[in-house]
Amino acid sequence: MTLKYNRFGYLIGEGFANVFKNKKSTGASLMIMCATMIIFGIFLALGENINHFVQKIESDQGVQVFINKEASDEQIQEVGRKIRQIQGVQDTVYKSKDDALTQMRDMLKDKKELLEGYEENNIFPASYVVTFTDLTMSSQIQDQISKIENVDSITSSDKTIETLIKLANGVKIVTGVILVLLVIISIFIISNTIKLTVHARRREISIMKYVGATNNFIRWPFIVEGMIIGVFASAISIVLVGGLYTWVAQSVANADFIQRMNINLVTFAEMFNSIILVYVLLGIGIGALGSIISMRKYLKV
Amino acid sequence: MIEFRNVTKKYDTGTVAVQNANFVIEKGEFAFLVGTSGSGKSTLIKLILKEEEPTSGNIIINKKDTTFLKPKRIPFLRRSMGVVFQDFRLLPDKTVYDNVAYAMYIVRATPRHIRRQVPMVLSLVGLSGKAKMYPHELSGGEQQRVALARALVNNPSMLIADEPTGNLDPDTAWDIMNLLNDINLRGTTVVVATHAKDVVDQMEKRVIQIDKGVIVRDDKKGGYDFEV
Repeated sequence: MTLKYNRFGYLIGEGFANVFKNKKSTGASLMIMCATMIIFGIFLALGENINHFVQKIESDQGVQVFINKEASDEQIQEVGRKIRQIQGVQDTVYKSKDDALTQMRDMLKDKKELLEGYEENNIFPASYVVTFTDLTMSSQIQDQISKIENVDSITSSDKTIETLIKLANGVKIVTGVILVLLVIISIFIISNTIKLTVHARRREISIMKYVGATNNFIRWPFIVEGMIIGVFASAISIVLVGGLYTWVAQSVANADFIQRMNINLVTFAEMFNSIILVYVLLGIGIGALGSIISMRKYLKV
Repeated sequence: MIEFRNVTKKYDTGTVAVQNANFVIEKGEFAFLVGTSGSGKSTLIKLILKEEEPTSGNIIINKKDTTFLKPKRIPFLRRSMGVVFQDFRLLPDKTVYDNVAYAMYIVRATPRHIRRQVPMVLSLVGLSGKAKMYPHELSGGEQQRVALARALVNNPSMLIADEPTGNLDPDTAWDIMNLLNDINLRGTTVVVATHAKDVVDQMEKRVIQIDKGVIVRDDKKGGYDFEV
């Protein structure tokens, strides 16, 4: 082994050498990191798809903007004008109080006698059904609409959207909790892996300390080792998650229910950028942190 | 150069390893630290290297009080002193040349400087022809020479040797001691902890003797032990 005098080359060289010195524990670290990333990837994909559904349904059906019951016809028209002025709004369809009553009658069908007497005293509010051109701005636009005078409330016109949004939030929370737990476990396991290398090289570390190496100089090769394991893990995970997702998505897309709803799933290619970014950051972060933790004891000479 | 002022070191176990030590080793001096094992010799070395903190008192190295030195500055203190140990502490998978070059690399010397300095210091310790060999291919004396070359390569102002001849046969031990003397003659302060009695007796250098943590003798030109 000849010394490389190039600093960057030295770091990468040492890091790689360490990775392959303890194959077993490197394997264990790789596995736990891959597990973390794959589970995270599955939930991320689930969340992306739910968001996609929500947007799809919103764009098909729009959101319903209810107007204050006391508002006059002019004020109602004013609200409509203002909504149309907002950027990103595609179209508005007005539903008068009468329309609302008729719709309610249709929904109740055989029990429509329940609504008798409401013709004179209509309690149903007038509303606009608003569709968007750009769905990514949906929440922003809804925000602006809610600030318009005489707007009472906004609901997504379909119950499924509400359910889906709730589901999406649930998935987000679960993803978060799982992520935190798995990251902690990963850091612990990777720090043990690095500890083996550090232990095997404690003699070298003590020599370095006596010669006057700074802690950072000693620490970096080990941090690089952790980061290399992290990058490997993210590469393996992205391949596995990509394959798994594409396979599952194909089976799901062929299912009756999906075809009837005319919904397509998000393709893996569309998610690739965000997933790879998260994976690489996660891998490098976990690797580096694990190394720093494992080094602490050995630097006290 | 190295000054101990009322230095006491008490370990957490309750052992008092060094008690109220006072001495000054001047620039360019050659001093032996003698004492039986467990006398506190090693602790003195560790205190100089800032591997251990004194419980009380002050240690001044190169006119700087190191007692309150920040941990971050310790590497820079150590760069002013070369260290050799009884067990050589060479890296087995690196050649003689690389073992020495490594010490320069760590302090971020330029490749040019390394290429010039390493052969020079190897010739100083008489190992020019063995640069490409590995530590296991060398004798004990040669390994200690490599360690000395490594300690000297960054031109430290002092050399600290902890039992440098402990693992060597008497003839080789003498070679190493003579080499230390040569290094001292070139202007480097040399501190040698040892219990090689005959060497100390014959070299007639300054002797600081420590017994049960107390400095019992400090002679300008002493032997190992007057009482015996």
